[in-house]
Amino acid sequence: MLAFFRKYQIPLSCCFCVLLSLYILTAAARGQIKKDPIGPLFLWLMRPLQIVAHSTTSWIKDIQQSYFTVAGYKAENERLRKRIVQLEVERNRFLEADATNQRLQKLLDFRSHLPSRSITASIIGNSASNWFQSCLIDKGSADGVRKGMSVVTPLGVVGRVVDAAARSAKVLLLTDPNSGIDVMVQRTRARGIVSGSLENGTVMKYVKRTEDIQVGDRLLTSGLDGVFLKGLMVGTVNKVRKQSVGLFQVIEVMPAVSPAQTEVVLVVNAQRSAAKVTAPSGPGLR
Amino acid sequence: MKLSLLLFAVGLLMILLQTTFLHFFPVVPDLILVLCVYWGLHHPTVGAVLGLFVLGYSVDVVSSPILGINAFAMSLVFLAVYLSSRSIWLHSPLVSAVVVLLASLIKGCALVLVWALFLSTEGFWMGAIRYILLEALVAALLAPVVFALLRRGQAYVEKAHIPGL
Repeated sequence: MLAFFRKYQIPLSCCFCVLLSLYILTAAARGQIKKDPIGPLFLWLMRPLQIVAHSTTSWIKDIQQSYFTVAGYKAENERLRKRIVQLEVERNRFLEADATNQRLQKLLDFRSHLPSRSITASIIGNSASNWFQSCLIDKGSADGVRKGMSVVTPLGVVGRVVDAAARSAKVLLLTDPNSGIDVMVQRTRARGIVSGSLENGTVMKYVKRTEDIQVGDRLLTSGLDGVFLKGLMVGTVNKVRKQSVGLFQVIEVMPAVSPAQTEVVLVVNAQRSAAKVTAPSGPGLR
Repeated sequence: MKLSLLLFAVGLLMILLQTTFLHFFPVVPDLILVLCVYWGLHHPTVGAVLGLFVLGYSVDVVSSPILGINAFAMSLVFLAVYLSSRSIWLHSPLVSAVVVLLASLIKGCALVLVWALFLSTEGFWMGAIRYILLEALVAALLAPVVFALLRRGQAYVEKAHIPGL
C-alpha cells in the first residue's frame, strides 16, 4: 500500500490539488468562503512589491516621455541640448505635478458632492489574467473598505470591491464579464444591465427591442442595485443592433472611465446612503 | 529543495510582473504556465505540485472573481505535463514552444470548463476562443527564452552550496 503511494505520489498529489481546487471553487461559487486565510496574507506580502513596481513603471514612463520630447531638439548644440534635457525633465515634473493637482482637485470636488464618507485610493496593480478585468487598490479593510463598495472617479463608474484585505482590495471592473450594473438611459430612462463581455467588449443587456436607444445616448447608474449611487456616469452607447429574432437589442457601450488610464479612485459605500449624486458639471458628469 | 524554492520564488516574481509591467501589453503573457511546464518536465516532485497549486491560487487572489480557477487549471496542466513527460524530449527550442502551446490549450480548456460550470457564459465563447489562441501563441513564443533563463538559474542553484538546504 505504502509502495503504491510512493510510486504514484506525484499523480496522486496532482489529483488531490485538482479536487481541492474544485472544492474551493464550489465553496467560493456558493459564497461559503466567508474568510479566505491565504488571500489577504498574499496581498499583504505583494503590496509593497507592487507599489515599488508601480513606481518604477511610472518612472520608466517619465524617462521615456522625456526621451521622446528631447529627441525633437537634435539640431541644437551640445550645451543647449543639455540645458533642454534639464529643462524638459523639470518641465515634465511640473506638468505631472500640475496634472496630479488638477486630478486630485477634481476628485476632491466630486468627493464633496458624495453624500457618504468616501475613501481615496490609488490603483497599484492589475489583473494577472486576460480572462478577468480587475485591479488592486492600496486601501483595505483597515481603511474602511468593505466587500461590495462601489469604486468611482469623477468621470464615472470604475467597478466594485469584491475582496478586501487589511491594506489592499480587489476591484472587479465594470468591463469584466462577471460584473453587472443596473443602468438607465439618460434620455429615455430605459433600463438595463451593463456588464463586460469577452466577445463584444462592454454591453448593455436586457433592453427591450421596442425601447428607443440611439448611438451616443448616455448611460447612468439607476441606484437600484444597492451598490452604486444614482446618477453616476457609466458610459455612452457605441453601437445598437436589433437582430431579426429575440426579445432584446444588442447594445455596445463605451465605458466613461478607462481603468488603464486611471490612477486615483474613490471607494464609496452606497448602501449607507442611497442618495442621488449631485455631481459638479464637467466631462462625464451630468 | 533548493530548486523548488527557486522556482517558487520565480513564480511569485512572475505574478508580480504579470500584475504590473506586463499589463501594458495587449495580451498578458502567462509566464506561470511556462514555469509550470518547465517545472513539470525538469523537476516533478510533490513540492512542485503544491508550489504550483499555491501559485495558481495566488493568481486567483489577485485576479479572479472566484477563487480556485487558476489553481485548478495549474494542477491539471501539471498533471498532463507530468504524465506526458516521459515521451517528451526537449532537444530544441521549437519543441519547448510546441509543448507550452499544447499546455496552454489544456489550461484554456480547463478555464472554459470551470467558467461554464460556475460563471455566466453569455457573450463568452468567441472571446474565450480568441483568448485561448492568443495566450497559447504568446506563451509558445516566450517559452524558449523563459526555458533558457530557468535552465541557467537551475544550473547555478545546483552548483551553489547553500547552507541548510
